[in-house]
Amino acid sequence: MISLAILFLAPIIAGIPVAVAWGHRPESDLARKLPVISVIGLFISLVVSLYLFFSYPEPERVVIQWIPGLNINFSFIFDYLSTRMGVLTALIAFLIGVYGLEYMKHDYRMGWYWFFFNMFTSSMLLVVYSDNLLMLLIGWEGLGLASWGLIGHWFRDDDELSYVGIMDRFVGPLKMFWSPSTGGWRAISTIRFGDMPMFFAVAAIFALTGSLDISQIDWGGLFAKIGTAGTIVLLFTFLMGPFTKSAQLPFSEWLMTAMTGPTTVSALLHSATMVAAGTYLFMRLSIYIGPWAHHSAGLAIIYILVLFLGLISSLYGALVALSSLERKVILAASTMSSLGLMFATTASSYWLGEIAVMIAFWYLVVHAFAKATLFLVAGHLIHVTETRFCSGNLEFGKKIIAGFGATVLATISLAGIPPFTAYWVKSGMDELMHGLHEVFGLAPFALLVTTSLVYSGFLAKFLSLNFIKGEKPHEMHLHGGKVMSLAYAVMVSMLIYLLYVILSGGSHLMEELVSAGYDKTSITVGVLVLVAYVITLIDPREKAFSRIAGIFGDRLYLSALNDYIVPGIGKVLIAFVDLCNSVIDFFFHRLIPDVFGAISGGIRRIQKGYLTTYLKLVVGVFLAVVFIAVLMGW
Amino acid sequence: MVMAITIGYIAGLILLVIGATLAYFNPRLSVIPVLISIIAIAVTSMSFTGFAVFIFVIALMNLLSLNLMKGNQIRGVDYAIVGLIGIATFFIFTASDVSLIIASFVLVSTPTYILVLISEGRLKVDPGMKYIVFMVLATLLFIIGALILVFNVNSPSRHLYIVGYTLMILGMSLEIGAAPLHEWVPDVFSSADPVPVSIIASITKIVPVVAVYRILLLTSTPFMKEAGIIAIAIGVISMFAGNIGALTTSDLRKVLAYSSIANMGYILPTVALVAFPEYFPMALAGALLQLVMNAVGKIGFFSGIKSGGIMRQMGYYMSLSFIGLPPLLGFWGKLFIVLSLVYAGYVWVAVLLVLNSSISIPYYLRVARDLGVEGRKNLVNAIVLIAVLVISVTFYPPGWFIGVANKIYVMMISGGV
Repeated sequence: MISLAILFLAPIIAGIPVAVAWGHRPESDLARKLPVISVIGLFISLVVSLYLFFSYPEPERVVIQWIPGLNINFSFIFDYLSTRMGVLTALIAFLIGVYGLEYMKHDYRMGWYWFFFNMFTSSMLLVVYSDNLLMLLIGWEGLGLASWGLIGHWFRDDDELSYVGIMDRFVGPLKMFWSPSTGGWRAISTIRFGDMPMFFAVAAIFALTGSLDISQIDWGGLFAKIGTAGTIVLLFTFLMGPFTKSAQLPFSEWLMTAMTGPTTVSALLHSATMVAAGTYLFMRLSIYIGPWAHHSAGLAIIYILVLFLGLISSLYGALVALSSLERKVILAASTMSSLGLMFATTASSYWLGEIAVMIAFWYLVVHAFAKATLFLVAGHLIHVTETRFCSGNLEFGKKIIAGFGATVLATISLAGIPPFTAYWVKSGMDELMHGLHEVFGLAPFALLVTTSLVYSGFLAKFLSLNFIKGEKPHEMHLHGGKVMSLAYAVMVSMLIYLLYVILSGGSHLMEELVSAGYDKTSITVGVLVLVAYVITLIDPREKAFSRIAGIFGDRLYLSALNDYIVPGIGKVLIAFVDLCNSVIDFFFHRLIPDVFGAISGGIRRIQKGYLTTYLKLVVGVFLAVVFIAVLMGW
Repeated sequence: MVMAITIGYIAGLILLVIGATLAYFNPRLSVIPVLISIIAIAVTSMSFTGFAVFIFVIALMNLLSLNLMKGNQIRGVDYAIVGLIGIATFFIFTASDVSLIIASFVLVSTPTYILVLISEGRLKVDPGMKYIVFMVLATLLFIIGALILVFNVNSPSRHLYIVGYTLMILGMSLEIGAAPLHEWVPDVFSSADPVPVSIIASITKIVPVVAVYRILLLTSTPFMKEAGIIAIAIGVISMFAGNIGALTTSDLRKVLAYSSIANMGYILPTVALVAFPEYFPMALAGALLQLVMNAVGKIGFFSGIKSGGIMRQMGYYMSLSFIGLPPLLGFWGKLFIVLSLVYAGYVWVAVLLVLNSSISIPYYLRVARDLGVEGRKNLVNAIVLIAVLVISVTFYPPGWFIGVANKIYVMMISGGV
C-alpha cells in the first residue's frame, strides 16, 4: 500500500517545490535549481516500480476499500502487462527528466513545466496499475490535463521554433501552421471528444455489471446480456477514448500539432505515456475480455474494425512521415503509425489468441525506447541548429557524434532490419497477420509489409537528412549538450538490452519470437525492409514523388476536420447559444425588471395615506373575493 | 387539571389588574406582577412547553422593549396590556370551545388599539385611526366567518362553508396584514412609534393564525380542501407584494412593514393544509417557527430603529435567519412549510415560496447594513441578543419541534363547537 502511495505521489509532490518557488518569484536562482527535486521524485517512482516488478512475479490484485456500498474500490493489478509497463513508464520519464534538466535550463515557465511533467508521469502510472475503471479514468483525465498544459507550454506563441508547419502558409481557407496554444487546444479538445462517450460506456458497464474492476467483470455474461448491437455500441463508445488518445484516424491531427510543446514533452508523450495509454488500455481489456474464448458477433465486428482501422492508420502515418520535412512531425507521424500496428496486432488476438496481445505489448516497449531516443536527439538537434526542419550534413554529423550514433542505432533497431531488436517482434507480427489469411485473405499481411517498408524508408530519411545528406545548417551552437547526450545514450542502450532479452529466450513468448524470426517469410520481409532503408538513405529526396509527397506532407488535409469542420459546428453552436443568451438577457434585464417596476409602482401607488382610499380598496377586494368564493361554492 | 388552569388564568388576570393599578404609584414596579403572571401562566402551559417557552420569550422581549420609550401616556399600564396579550396567546391553545377562541382573538386585538396610539410626545392619532378601523373590520369579518362555519357544522352546505371560510380568512388577513388587505401596514409601521409597532408586528400575529387553525379544525367539513385555494391565493399575492414592495422601498420602517406582509404570505398557505391531517403537524411546526422568527426579528429591528442602531454582527445574523440560511431558525420554519406543501401536492406554492425567499435576500441585508452600528452594552443590544439566542436554538436540528406541533395538534382537535 505504502509503496503504491509513494509510486503515485512522489512525482507530484516532488513537482510542487519548483512550481511554488517559480510562482512566488519567477526566474529566481533558487527556482532554477529546484527541478532536480522533481527528477528525484521521478527516480523514486522508478525504484518503486522496479520493486513492484520483482515482488509480483505472479499476477495479483490489491484492493483498498473506498465506497464498499457501491463496490467502488481502489484496486490495483500487478500482472505481466502492468509491472513491465510501470517500469517502462517510470524509466523513460526519469531519463527524459534528466535530459530536461539541461534542455529546459533557460525556460521562462519552469514551475509550470515541471509540475505538469511530473503530474503526467503520475497519471500514467495510475492508468498502468489501475484495475478499477473509475480510478483509471482519474489517471486518464490527468493525462489529458497535463498534455494540454505541456503542449501549450510556450503559451506566448512568440517563437517560430515552437510552431508546427510553415509560417503564413495557407491552402485554400486552411491555415497550415499551428501555434503552441492552438496545439494545446487541439489536443485537449480532440481527447475530450473521445472521453465523453468513454465516460458513458464506463457508467453503462457499472450499471450493467455492478463492478468496475476490469479483471473481475463477467465480460462474457455482459455481452450475452446486451446482445450483438449492445456489444458493438458499448465497446465502440468505450474505445472512442483509446482511439482519440492514441490518435487513430480520423483523430490524428492533434498528435501532429502536439509537436508545438517542448521536445521532452513530445518524447514522453510519444513513448510511454499518453498515446501509449490508449493502446495499453486496449491490450489490458483484451487480456481480460479474452475475445478468443467468446464467439460473439458483436465482439468480432469491433475487433475487425480495430484491426483495419489500426492498419490503415498505420499506413497513413507512415506515408505522412515519409513526406514530412519537419524533424518532430516525422517522428509524430511515425508514432501514429506504430500505434496503429499495436492496435491491429492486439485486435488479431480475437482469432489468434493471447500471444497477439503479448507481441503488441513488446512492440510497444521496443517502440517506446527507440522513439524516446529519436525525440531526444531531435530536441538536441533543434537546440543546436535552431531550426525545426531537417538539416545537417556528414560534417555536421561528425560534430554531434553521440546523436548520430544514437540515431543510427535507434532507426535500425526500430525499422525491423535483421537481426536488430524490432526485427524479432515484427517477425511475430508478420506471422500473426499472415495467420489471418484464412479470415481476410492476404490484405492484413500486405498492409503490414507495405507499412513496414515505408516505415523503414522514413527512418532512413530522418537519419540521412539530419546527419548525412541534408543541407549544411545555418547555425551551430555546439557547446553543452552533455547531459542530453548522456540521457539518450542510456535510452538507446536499452534497445540492446531488449535484444539480449529476446535472444536469450527464457520464456515461451521469446522462443516464439525467435522462431518466427527464422521463418522464411520474415526473413524476406526483413531483407525488403533493409533494401528500403538503404535506398532512402542514399536518396532521401526522390524528385519523382515530390507532388504526391506534398499532399501527404499536408497530411491529406485532414487538418480541415479540426480547423474547419469542427469549428464550423462550433460556430453554429455558438450562434445558438448566443440566441439563448439574448433570450435570457431579455428575460432578466428587461422583462423581470419591468414587471418588478410595474408591481412595485402599483404597490406604492396604493399607499396614499388616506383612510377613505384604503377602505374603498378593502371593500373592493372584499367584494371581489367573496364574489369568487360564491362562484366557487355554486 | 382544568380547574387548576382556570384558576391560574383568573389569578393571572388579577395580577395584571394589580400591575395596572400599581402604575399610579410607581410605573416601574408594575412590571413585577405582570412578569409573575406571565411566568405562572407559562409554567401551567406544560402541555405545550416547547412552544410556550417561545411565547414567553417573545412577551419578555416586548416588555423589555417598552423600556426603550422615555415615558408615554400610559406608563406602567403598558406592561399590563402586553401581559394581557401574552396571556391571551397562551390561552388560545387551551381554549376549549369556539366562543373562547373568539374571545382570545378579541383579547389580543383590542389592547393594541391603545398601544398603537402611545408615544413619547403627542398621541399618534393618524396611524391609530387607520389601525383601529382596519382592526374593527377584521374582527367583524373574522367573527362573522367563524359563526357561519360553526352554524354550518350541523347541516353542512358547501356554499355556506366556502362563504364562511372566505370571510374568516379575509378577517385574519386584515388582522395580520396580508396583501391585498395590507394597506394599513406600511402606514402604521412607518408613522406610529417603533416600540408599539414592534409589539403589533410580533406577538399579536400568533393568535389570529392559531385561531383560524382551531376553528377550521373544529368545524371541519369535506369542503375544506377546495376552499384552501383562497388562503393559498392570498398567501401567494402577499409574498410577492411584500417582497417586491420591500425590495423597492428605501424607508427602513416600510421595508420591515413589507417584510411582515411577505412573512404572513409564507404562513397563509399552511391554513390550506389543515385539510391534510397527515401533513398538518409539519405545516403547523413550520408556521409556528416562522411566527417566532418574524416576532423576534421584528422586535430586534424595530428596537434598533427606536434607539438608532443595533450591533452590526447581530443585525446581519438576524437578516440571514430571515432569509432562511441553515441552520438558523428562519430556515427551519420555511423548510417545514415547504416540505408540507410539497407532500400535500402544492409543489408550485413551494416553488414560489423559495423564489420569494431569494427575492428577499437584498433587502434584509440592506436592513442589517443600515441599522448596524458599533456594538455597545445597552438595552437594545440586550433585546437583540435574546433574538440572536432564540434564532440559534436550531443549531440542534428542531426535529423535536414537530413532536411539539403534534401535541399542539392533538390539543387543537380536542374541544367542541
